[in-house]
Amino acid sequence: MNSIGFALLAAMVTIYVLLDGYDLGTATISPFLARTSQERGEAMRSIGPFWNGNEVWLIATGGVLFALFPQAYASAFSAFYLPFTIVLWMLMFRGLAMELRNHFTMPMWRDFWDFAFSASSALLVLLFGVALGNLVRGVPLNASGYLLGTLGFLLNPYALCIGVLALVALALHGALWLAMMTSGAPARRARGAVPALTVAVAALYLAASAATWSVHAVDPQRRWIVALPLICLGALAGVVLATRRGATRWAFVFSSAFLAGLLAGAATALYPFLIPSLPRGGGISIQTMAGGSVAVITFVAIAGLVAVIAYTIFVVRAMSQHAGDA
Amino acid sequence: MDLVAADRLQFAFTIMFHYLFPIGTMGLAPFVAWYHFKAWRDDDAEAGRIAAFWTKIFAINFAAGVVTGIPMEFAFGTNWAAFSAKNGAVVGQPLALEGIYAFFLESIFLGVLLYGRTRVARGLHVVSAVLVCLGSWLSGYFIVVTDAWMQHPVGGSLGALLTNPFALWQFVHVIVGALLAGGFIVAGVGAFYLLARRDDGIGRRFVRAGVLTGLLFSLLAIFPTGDRNSADVTKYQPVKLAAMEGLFDSTRGAPLAIIGMPDVPSRKLIDPVVAPSVLSFLAYGSFTANVDGLNAYATTLWPPVELTYYAYHVMVGLGTIFAALSAMSVLLLLWRRRLFEARWLLWLLLLTIPFPYIANEAGWVVTEVGRQPWIVYGLMRTSAGVSPNVPAGETIFTIIGFAGMYFLIGVLFLFLTLREVGVGPNHAQRPAVEASE
Repeated sequence: MNSIGFALLAAMVTIYVLLDGYDLGTATISPFLARTSQERGEAMRSIGPFWNGNEVWLIATGGVLFALFPQAYASAFSAFYLPFTIVLWMLMFRGLAMELRNHFTMPMWRDFWDFAFSASSALLVLLFGVALGNLVRGVPLNASGYLLGTLGFLLNPYALCIGVLALVALALHGALWLAMMTSGAPARRARGAVPALTVAVAALYLAASAATWSVHAVDPQRRWIVALPLICLGALAGVVLATRRGATRWAFVFSSAFLAGLLAGAATALYPFLIPSLPRGGGISIQTMAGGSVAVITFVAIAGLVAVIAYTIFVVRAMSQHAGDA
Repeated sequence: MDLVAADRLQFAFTIMFHYLFPIGTMGLAPFVAWYHFKAWRDDDAEAGRIAAFWTKIFAINFAAGVVTGIPMEFAFGTNWAAFSAKNGAVVGQPLALEGIYAFFLESIFLGVLLYGRTRVARGLHVVSAVLVCLGSWLSGYFIVVTDAWMQHPVGGSLGALLTNPFALWQFVHVIVGALLAGGFIVAGVGAFYLLARRDDGIGRRFVRAGVLTGLLFSLLAIFPTGDRNSADVTKYQPVKLAAMEGLFDSTRGAPLAIIGMPDVPSRKLIDPVVAPSVLSFLAYGSFTANVDGLNAYATTLWPPVELTYYAYHVMVGLGTIFAALSAMSVLLLLWRRRLFEARWLLWLLLLTIPFPYIANEAGWVVTEVGRQPWIVYGLMRTSAGVSPNVPAGETIFTIIGFAGMYFLIGVLFLFLTLREVGVGPNHAQRPAVEASE
């Protein structure tokens, strides 16, 4: 049961990254790909109907973490109180910027909100990457399970490396979304940028993998984990090949596979801990799972999420049928 | 300020500011759905313009609600870590389900509603409006369930949580309160158009729909929902009832305080105007029943008396005024449509718009401040629930940060909403956000 809970959370985080990843990435990369106000408008419209639903995956993941692993939820968010509150403010500001660009039609303000949206999105991705990096590396825990974290501790070279990887990987993901969902100049430029972005992602990925193995060695019982880098690099090759053939939808699928592989690697490195301690060996593990009716809530959550995925696919299909007419 | 006070202040401030927007979404969603439906069924072009108008106002409320809701989902972990670590297995359940069963529904189908008018079939567009309404109400249900467990901690299983006897009437009361606000918003906006001598047809439609809705739900707010809610408080939290009423001495045939100032040091109600024996009747159905006063309990079990008392009287007083105002408006409406000429009453309707918000918020203050000193009633004290590792100074810093952020959001919300009202349904160039490029 504990492992099912862990897998559910890992799956929700992965879906969050795949979905919100493309709108965060689109926001990050669009200043470079969409140059005129009209082009940026097109880019924003391609994520407009979806970004809010995508962000709900983050909120829902928070709720599920709270219900299944209350101790991890309580420790993590209180330990990094200020950095986390700043992330929350950034999320709020990003939402505000996205909504406000639709209401301020004066070009000056529209440009400002587009910039604010892109800047806050890029910073968020970087911070999410730093958070993930720190999680994989381990964090200092005291005897009561509460963390002792400082901002300076968080910004270590390893975590920053993961942060930059996240930034570039999601920029690629966003570029592929633009190539798939828009037409005209931004899509053409997005396709053009794919090879260079992919090479950058691959290089950062190799560096990050090497660094990960140096922060903790491969568990001899999980040797199969070395297959993951091959899958990830294969997916990146698929991104370039599919883009070259004009199969942008497949390129997006390959990019999603790469991100999923990346997160699967992180999840494997964490398991069986949710928050491993530093120095390693302890931490808040899946054994801290809530008792009581945790099985019921897990299955009710899974059933609900299956329904959500079904109607999301239905809505995206219905909405993109006539995307050209809008 | 000590840590507990700082954490309570931050939660109170952020949740009360956030709640302004769910009042708007839960209260306006049925209007949005109704006008979309009417436009489709009757091929009513004006209803279509009205639907687009309220959809825009709804979307502004929704966006502000989402933005201010994000920190709430995590506030239990950031500021109330001890509470969360101990009770997350219970209160986390409805919060997880709120995300999964309500937020997705609301946000995904709002996307269809805003961007899909020309992209999806008309029927699906109307259904989306209904699903958005359902999502916003479901979200309210999960939150009330979470709160109800903190008020009356039944077993921690999902079934017990979702059927908590404390939750039922509280939820209906919350929805009725939001619909009351929705009615007065619609009536007030209509009154504005009539007073400004513009968009006469739309103004009349809004005033009529608004005052009828307002009357219906201000009556339902009093009876049965408010009455049943009080009955639950009487049954499960008698000390909160005593604080709400400012009743210090246990009394047979207890009076209902209409006006008066509770003086806690001397333990009496100063300058009271009371209705004799009425409290006993309302609480227990008998004019001679005994109602326990605050003195029957140790002061360590008392909630902050003044705040609970005043918040309760503000809510009830405003509720009574809403019923009277909407009843008068409906009478003048029925009396050969004189309401549309009665400018003094239209002015009153316009200026009433903020007050349902105050009444809704005051109701929550009664519920939550009246729950003190408990974070989980009878089981865990609020002072034991805070994050032990967050210094008070950091919380004060974030309170100030939130205040700045929320000031900006408040100003923008008012600016955007008033601008939409100023443009009005008849003069909007194109239907929804999708065309604003």
